[in-house]
Amino acid sequence: MAYYAIKGGEEAIKNSLHFYDEVTSSANDIEDKNLIEGLTFSIDKVISEGSLYSKKLAAKAIKRSAGDLLNASFFLRAHRSSCQRIGIAKEIDVNDMRLSRRISSAFKDIEGGQLLGPSNDYEIKLLLDLKNKDVDIEEYSNEDNVIKSALTPLRNDNLIKVLPKEDETWDITRNYPNAPYPRSAVLQVMSRGESGSLLCIGYTTMRGYGDIHPTIGDLRIGELDIKFTHPFTKNEVKIGSVEVTSVECVGTFNQDENGDTKLTTGFGFCFGKNETKAISMSMIDLSLYNSHYSVGGEHIVAADFDMIMHHLDGIESFGMTNHFKLPHYVTFQTDYQIFKSAQKYVEENENGEGK
Amino acid sequence: MRYAFLDEEAKKEIRRSILKAIAIPGYIVSFASRELPVARGWGTGGLQVTLAIINEEDNLKVIDQGCDGSVNAVNIRNFISSVTKVNTTTSTTDATIIQTRHRIPEIHLEENQTLVFQVPMPDILETVEPNISKAKLLHANADYSKLWVLLYEDTSQFGDSRISNRYPVMVNNRYAMDPSPIPKYDTPKLNNCKALQIFGAGREKKIYAIPPYTNVVPLKFEDREFKVESFENKVCSRCGSTHSFLDEVYDDNGDIHYYCNDTDFCDTNLKSKENK
Repeated sequence: MAYYAIKGGEEAIKNSLHFYDEVTSSANDIEDKNLIEGLTFSIDKVISEGSLYSKKLAAKAIKRSAGDLLNASFFLRAHRSSCQRIGIAKEIDVNDMRLSRRISSAFKDIEGGQLLGPSNDYEIKLLLDLKNKDVDIEEYSNEDNVIKSALTPLRNDNLIKVLPKEDETWDITRNYPNAPYPRSAVLQVMSRGESGSLLCIGYTTMRGYGDIHPTIGDLRIGELDIKFTHPFTKNEVKIGSVEVTSVECVGTFNQDENGDTKLTTGFGFCFGKNETKAISMSMIDLSLYNSHYSVGGEHIVAADFDMIMHHLDGIESFGMTNHFKLPHYVTFQTDYQIFKSAQKYVEENENGEGK
Repeated sequence: MRYAFLDEEAKKEIRRSILKAIAIPGYIVSFASRELPVARGWGTGGLQVTLAIINEEDNLKVIDQGCDGSVNAVNIRNFISSVTKVNTTTSTTDATIIQTRHRIPEIHLEENQTLVFQVPMPDILETVEPNISKAKLLHANADYSKLWVLLYEDTSQFGDSRISNRYPVMVNNRYAMDPSPIPKYDTPKLNNCKALQIFGAGREKKIYAIPPYTNVVPLKFEDREFKVESFENKVCSRCGSTHSFLDEVYDDNGDIHYYCNDTDFCDTNLKSKENK
């Protein structure tokens, strides 16, 4: 009987899940180690957007979602909600990073030099197995490359516009701000935002919706120690380290509130190796806080705080988009009735006018 | 797993937001909104409210589009009972907490009950003012002129507002509120309701409420009556009800049948008829 068709039912869910498990069961054959080391960029995307630094849980999440990375991030976020917070780590400084990669395109020569690190930027993207034959390869250095940002000299010379420091750092996972949004909250939203969304909005600034052609002042990937004040001994202890990407880009210059001519910068920071994401974030940061430095218009997508705060999160936008899969027959029924009476009203009125 | 899944800080924050929401009927309160193992837009706001207020003595009912058996309702009910071990029910009368998506039960609610709505868009002004900072200012000044203009334009073109569900309401003569996408049919039930009504929007991180016995009226011009969906001359083919929200269902032959949308109401009605 047709009536029962509108009930989804527990059985249907069970069957569907079972079918899904069967179709994607091969994912379970992949070793966590292979995922973490081999598909490291997938893992890094997931820990960054899932905003939970656990490569092991990320591997599990990727398998559970059969390689759908946004879905995998969603598993991490959900897991995060059940974890009780034990405290807040000490502030970190990206200047303290042990670098595996660091480039600057703003300067020809920088202190500490350029460190290409592991990168396939210059690889010709052909799906052929071309091996590098007979190439002399430099031994990787084991030293801790701790080098200050390439923008440090400019900063020391007071050439860079400094944004006011907040008294207390906001935490968007415990308290979501209303407009006007504090910068720490905006940066957090971007840091765990979806890479594609950031890229899209960042890209608009170079295509007429803004006039930003930033120069990468300092792009760095490396490890940072996480330090914590021990609750009993009150000593500062290292509780682990995280791999992160950080970008400082340099934009245009203008006069600041005091009439001094200053260069603007934007900052990008996220978990794992996510260069494109961090670059996009730094451009949007630059555009948000320096829109009046712009030569072109100020009213652009990437300078709109609401646009940034509420549209970058992949887990939220994909959840909302997928909710259209849920039944909407009540909504449609009532839409349909309104439509029919509006149609009737318009027809009657037109007929009335014709007479 | 922790009782009711969420960590204690999250539950505390949500309870405080609920208290504030009850104290200022119709006012939108921000909260942090944690991620849940259910997707955003699938009821995470309602879920967080339910998880924050539920205890062992509660009797939980979950409905989606009027039905206890639909996939989303089943999923949410299973999740809540797996992390709380509370009793669940499909009966509107027996439930102490009813989490709902897009319907208010046909059977009248009582004082000891809480109706928790899942809300996709918490701010009714979003349609006319997408900028949140500006919308907040409009609420602060009780300036709802943009909504009135929308209502006027629709009325002049189509004879009535084109808004079919989530019809704007004025709560306690102060705040214009989004009642979640309930059909217009359910709008009058919001008014002077004996039960506490709490609205949770997870993705948009907002909570608001209508305390029991609060005045709630649809936004309407004085010389226009508020019209709800009409099911005149139509009868539920199952229980024979003539006064409930009906679903139009096409059978395999293409014929239209009508059935009560509220499945518990339909079952109860049928049972009481059989007993007679």
